[in-house]
Amino acid sequence: MKNFTNTYIFLYITALVVVIAVVLTLVYTGLAPRRDRNKQAEKCQQILRAAGHDIDRSKAVEAFSNLAEPLTEDGQQYRVVCSDGTSGIAVRLDGKGLWGPIWGYAVVSADGQMLKGVSFDHKSETPGLGAKITEGAFMKAFEGKKLYDKDGNFVSVRVLKPGTSPEIDDENRVDAISGATITSRGVDDMMRSSIHNSQFTIHN
Amino acid sequence: MKKYLGPLSKDNPILVQTLGVCSALAVTAQLKPAVVMALSVTVVCACSNFFISLMRNTIPPRIRIIVQLLVVSFFVILVDLLLQSYLYDVSKMLSVFVGLIITNCIIMGRLEAFALSHKPLSSLMDGMMNGLGYGLVLVVVAFFRELLGSGTLWNHQVVPDSWYAAGYLNNGLMILPPMALILVGVIIWAKGPRTKVGA
Repeated sequence: MKNFTNTYIFLYITALVVVIAVVLTLVYTGLAPRRDRNKQAEKCQQILRAAGHDIDRSKAVEAFSNLAEPLTEDGQQYRVVCSDGTSGIAVRLDGKGLWGPIWGYAVVSADGQMLKGVSFDHKSETPGLGAKITEGAFMKAFEGKKLYDKDGNFVSVRVLKPGTSPEIDDENRVDAISGATITSRGVDDMMRSSIHNSQFTIHN
Repeated sequence: MKKYLGPLSKDNPILVQTLGVCSALAVTAQLKPAVVMALSVTVVCACSNFFISLMRNTIPPRIRIIVQLLVVSFFVILVDLLLQSYLYDVSKMLSVFVGLIITNCIIMGRLEAFALSHKPLSSLMDGMMNGLGYGLVLVVVAFFRELLGSGTLWNHQVVPDSWYAAGYLNNGLMILPPMALILVGVIIWAKGPRTKVGA
């Protein structure tokens, strides 16, 4: 086996690290516009999906500019035309799942009383379990749910195991995903922390 | 050619060498991520094997593990960036698991055991076949987990609605990681008598 001097080892590893760093930086910056376009298109698609429009990602940006307009400058709220022709308010949702962040958009009817639809996404929930929050069946359950209970108190829409918390009406709750307790609880928290009744009054 | 076919069966990284089992449990709840994961590992394993083999006479033995890690992480980050730019949907599906390819012991194992002592082209072949041998097990496990756990294959429903109406239920245990371990165990058991270890 060859003998390598300390100087050689030091220079070798330094050169290797520099070369790798430079190449990765070039690739990263070179691909940045494409990556940003993907992210932007996905955001548009997500907001439109919450409003009931099923639109391909490649057409999402264009459709979004026709159907939605920002209500706040921070990108947290948009006014959007829903698939049934009515106007709704899209609200950004942010929360924690089991392994990482979960987020999405909820479209609330213009009077602030009812959910028109939601779309969720996640960074790293378990495929087949927590990742089911992005499936149509789970998101569809939110459509038409009420944000206020019978007595007029704001409760948002809760995500609860069937049979628990009987005091919450069917109109204010959807079923949690079995086997994905923490992710379901994360969605439940997100629905309560990101949607406030005060958000809708200012626009009416 | 024949000497490269070992990883597919006789010398399979998961079934015989029991390497890379953790990721085999993590990404096999559904078929699609399992296939993309298998391809990504194959690409990373083949490329890093090739480059380490090219560099093998210049790498000081005392820091060879660090050099290997650098090369492997380089390819993993490259694959991740390319997926994010050109196959955005797939990259979202695999999420953290792409980054975790770095920790897959099959890759480091092949670099140590093969690439450091063989020519670049043989190393490329060896890396590719090991990646495919790993992928084969992933796909088989994912096939059964998705079919029995969710009643779907490649996200398309295959168990007819009439079965559900007749009382058929998806096996919830199938989508949990322990069942993947049991399935891998069953495959090892089924394969066992037909394989002479070390032969």
